Amino acid sequence: MGILLSIIRTSLWDFSRNLLRTFLTSLGILIGVSSVILLVSLGVGLKNYIGDQFENLGSNILIVMPGQIFGNSMSQGGNFSGITFTEKDFLNIAKIKGIKAVAPAYVKTVTAAFEGKTEIGSYYGTTADIFSMRNLEAEYGEVFLPGDVSKRKKIMVLGPKIAEKLFGNKEDAVGKTVKIDEQGFRVTGILRSKGGGGFGGPDFDSFLYIPYKSSPKINQEKKFSVINFQADKESAIEKTKDSVTALLEKTYDEEDFSVIEQSQIQETVTSIFAILNSVLVAIAAISLVVGGIGIMNIMYITVTERIREIGIRRAMGATRNNILMQFLFEAVFLSTIGGSFGLLLSYLIVLIGSRFFPLAIDVMSVAAALTVSTSIGVVFGVLPARKAALLSPVEAIRYE
Amino acid sequence: MIILDHVNKIYQIDGEEFYALRDISLEVKEGEFTAILGPSGCGKSTLMHIIGLLDTPTSGKLLINKKNVTKLDDNELSRLRNEFAGFIFQQFNLINKLTVLENILLPTIYSAKKYTYDPKTRALELMDRFGIINKQKSYPNKLSGGQQQRVAIARALLNEPKIILADEPTGNLDSKTGRTILDLIRELNQKESITVVLVTHDREIAESCRRHISMLDGKIV
Repeated sequence: MGILLSIIRTSLWDFSRNLLRTFLTSLGILIGVSSVILLVSLGVGLKNYIGDQFENLGSNILIVMPGQIFGNSMSQGGNFSGITFTEKDFLNIAKIKGIKAVAPAYVKTVTAAFEGKTEIGSYYGTTADIFSMRNLEAEYGEVFLPGDVSKRKKIMVLGPKIAEKLFGNKEDAVGKTVKIDEQGFRVTGILRSKGGGGFGGPDFDSFLYIPYKSSPKINQEKKFSVINFQADKESAIEKTKDSVTALLEKTYDEEDFSVIEQSQIQETVTSIFAILNSVLVAIAAISLVVGGIGIMNIMYITVTERIREIGIRRAMGATRNNILMQFLFEAVFLSTIGGSFGLLLSYLIVLIGSRFFPLAIDVMSVAAALTVSTSIGVVFGVLPARKAALLSPVEAIRYE
Repeated sequence: MIILDHVNKIYQIDGEEFYALRDISLEVKEGEFTAILGPSGCGKSTLMHIIGLLDTPTSGKLLINKKNVTKLDDNELSRLRNEFAGFIFQQFNLINKLTVLENILLPTIYSAKKYTYDPKTRALELMDRFGIINKQKSYPNKLSGGQQQRVAIARALLNEPKIILADEPTGNLDSKTGRTILDLIRELNQKESITVVLVTHDREIAESCRRHISMLDGKIV
């Protein structure tokens, strides 16, 4: 007890006499710890954000796409061999038991014009099911109905982003006519914003939703690049997936299309970001090692400066272990100070930064940061402390 | 109390053997006041370090209270050093970042000894006796040389050692202060019968001691 107290007191005395040195030494660990915590927070935040985004896009959704998206082997992976689906495919899919809604989509980049103003947007030829399936609601006006599709009405529903670009005030768009390729479509509704469009998800806010039958000029053959469908419950996902696959295999080669679950896309996107994030965290961890070397360097200097003190303590009966513990404690103290302030700093940055970025402090990363910074003190402090402990008492006490 | 039996201390310098001590056999009896006299480099300090367990002989035996201590490990040596010997150095060797009182109490923090007295009370009594009681909270570098050496003596006495080892204790003091410090050490020997081994190059000091040993080139002459 007496030893510990004396060790703490002499360490504090030393630190207070060399405030600048103590600060600079801990700074390395401070920067390392805070960058690791920040990057982990960014990773966790991003994962949550992606999860929320996909949640927003509706549940139990499957997507039929051309090519092999998740190939079993490298040679098949990412084969986008361009088949398109037909109206017949989608009508047949709609008949399958367990499928609640089907929304095929023909997507094309087009120029939308209103009273001489033009904007680039994404034409999205589809059915009325898309709105219920994707939880899309009209903020102003109304979305179109299945009846509007069969009547081939020349109408459209605008995503809020494109509506704002064309009209300035979104509300003004309802009832106006927007031209695409010289065809006029009356705007019936403006959607509530879904956000997103960033991390791999589709940008629903920039689409121009038009009944697929209403625009023969743009999509003459009624082809679809994608067919979205929704299972009526989670347990039906696998079964409907198999049924749809079996159905399409009658028409297409099995390698030319894939039926994927939306959650699969989410997993892929999440894992890509997780890999990126862990690379960044690994790079940040290097700074922790550099910080540790800084501590080791200073501890060597400290030991050299205090050889005489070590000799005196040995003469008074201090064992090698007592001396080892004293210098080890100082190294751990330095690294823990750095770790704690690094934690504090990263907490403040997360507090402020979470308004602009998806950041979330992870309790595990906090515990890990403190454990790691303490261990760095031990690992990088042990060599200088050993040097101090192994000094011969006689040489130490004679040291000038 | 202390017996050195054919002790050699050999250093390797550039591959050549250098005898700091050559075949030293010596007995120090309890209550004796022994001076070791010799020019610098004669090995007198090395001899003192070996008696004080700060250093180990290359060959030969060191017996303390009939026990061979040359085979003890670091923990046992440290404990013996802590309880058996008290050191006084020419350079005082106080720790400047600790207060005077903390310096005097330094041996207690490394001690496994069961105290039959309160170490702090003893420290204050010693300070009072040496006329430095008002310096408790001062730092050593603010004290005069004589005062610093008194602090060092108080520190050496704290654990009630059997032997005081003094290495040129007056070497950094003016002659008047030196004499009072020497008188103090003599008083400890006479009144409290603490064994004293004093290392000096000053013939006058050595001859004033009851027993003196002369050394030259690592040998007793």
